[in-house]
Amino acid sequence: MDSKKKIKVLYVDDESNNLISFKASFRFDYNVLLANNTDEALKHLEANSDISVILSDQKMPDMTGVEFFEKIRPQYPNPIRILITGYTDIESVINAINRGHVFRYIKKPWTDVDVQSAIDEAHKFYVTTSMLALKNDELQKAYNELDKFAYSATHDMRGPILSVLGIIDLAKNADDIEDIKEMIEMMENAMLKLDNYIQNLHDHYSIRRGELNITEIDFNDIMKDMSDLYDITSKLKNVSFDKSVSQEGKFRSDDISIKIIVNNLLSNAFKYQRKNTDEKNVKLDMKVSNGAAVIVVEDNGIGIPESSLDQVFTMFFRGSNDEIGSGFGLYNVKDALNKINGKIEVQSKENSGTTFKVIIPSK
Amino acid sequence: MSDIKLNFIVIDDSKLDCFIAEKIIKNTGRSENCNVFQQATDALEYIKTAQVNGLKTIVFVDIQMPVMNGFEFVESFEKLSDGQKESYCIYMLSSSINENDIAKVKGYSSVKHFLNKPLTNDTIKAVLEDY
Repeated sequence: MDSKKKIKVLYVDDESNNLISFKASFRFDYNVLLANNTDEALKHLEANSDISVILSDQKMPDMTGVEFFEKIRPQYPNPIRILITGYTDIESVINAINRGHVFRYIKKPWTDVDVQSAIDEAHKFYVTTSMLALKNDELQKAYNELDKFAYSATHDMRGPILSVLGIIDLAKNADDIEDIKEMIEMMENAMLKLDNYIQNLHDHYSIRRGELNITEIDFNDIMKDMSDLYDITSKLKNVSFDKSVSQEGKFRSDDISIKIIVNNLLSNAFKYQRKNTDEKNVKLDMKVSNGAAVIVVEDNGIGIPESSLDQVFTMFFRGSNDEIGSGFGLYNVKDALNKINGKIEVQSKENSGTTFKVIIPSK
Repeated sequence: MSDIKLNFIVIDDSKLDCFIAEKIIKNTGRSENCNVFQQATDALEYIKTAQVNGLKTIVFVDIQMPVMNGFEFVESFEKLSDGQKESYCIYMLSSSINENDIAKVKGYSSVKHFLNKPLTNDTIKAVLEDY
């Protein structure tokens, strides 16, 4: 049986005979750790963060089981505590519950069935509590994100609308047709910006909420999609676009996540180009071998200042004034990568370019 | 209405909003000159080195901008010497209806008012009567 899946139980008792018989009875059912005194028990706790149930004898020479539980609880609040004792006066029971926060109370001499049911129940309780803590963390994270979102949405969604309203106000009193044409173009840009933001938002929630759909992926298809999207951009913006793809063996992952990743990186590479240079270039290289895909997107654009490199994956972080950015793109990339267990590295030098390297394992 | 000329500075990362502000300012007929900056850092540099022409300068600054936001701009501005600061009147502009932002604006002594975007003929008229 896989020992990893067994419940990890720590038993503290000063009587070696008890320890031996405990291990003899339960070593097949649980991953049993034994301690002859509380110091040893602490060492086990320190070394094993995954202990889910602790059983302690009440009467030990250095301290009582209740005192031991009371002492370890602040530092190790998660493992569930079970007290084993020969004394059953009401005072010690009250102490065990109030001071030691014990989950169960087992009377000596124990029966295997009692111990087993106590451990199993305690473990169930442990799992539920841990899950709850995890869910709480997730919920907190979601709340924080929602706050951030609500703040940004007013700016990024209202911003373009207010700009257009401003121009309309101006246009009402404009007579010159050239002026009016300029204004229309500006309104168009504002609407494109809004549309870009909403599309990113849609990406964001499809990564967040969407289930992964793992299929076999042919990177030639992905390359074709990207060519369809960016060949025109390349011509319009006068940026050369070098593409290379090679695939050895099958690769399985979530198609949409990979497209979101490559698309966002390319979109940035084309967007953040230096204005006054003739040799604008974007490279996309995708290689699949040994069950992993390595995607490299390289540009010789404006680069990222070293001081902002560690912030580029933060939601709504914008490192530059020059272009329309939503602060969503790289955050979405990171999010999508987290879902498919990928990694990303970034190297950049200001005014010389940026390289993103993505590694995704096949599922 | 008075017709004393004024200097204007517009700081907004959105080109579009700069364009609108510039047009509206020019329409008032009160602008001696109007400088537009898409980066707050550039505006700050300009203010540090600007020649004083004896006229008041009205500054419109957006709150949410990358690199240096409106609040950071005002904080840096407030560190300048009194001589450098005295001819400036700062107005903060934002599209956000965020209570925190509005409250924060009140905490800066050098900021006259918080204005909602977009800047319109009416708002600028009010500003010109108020500064």
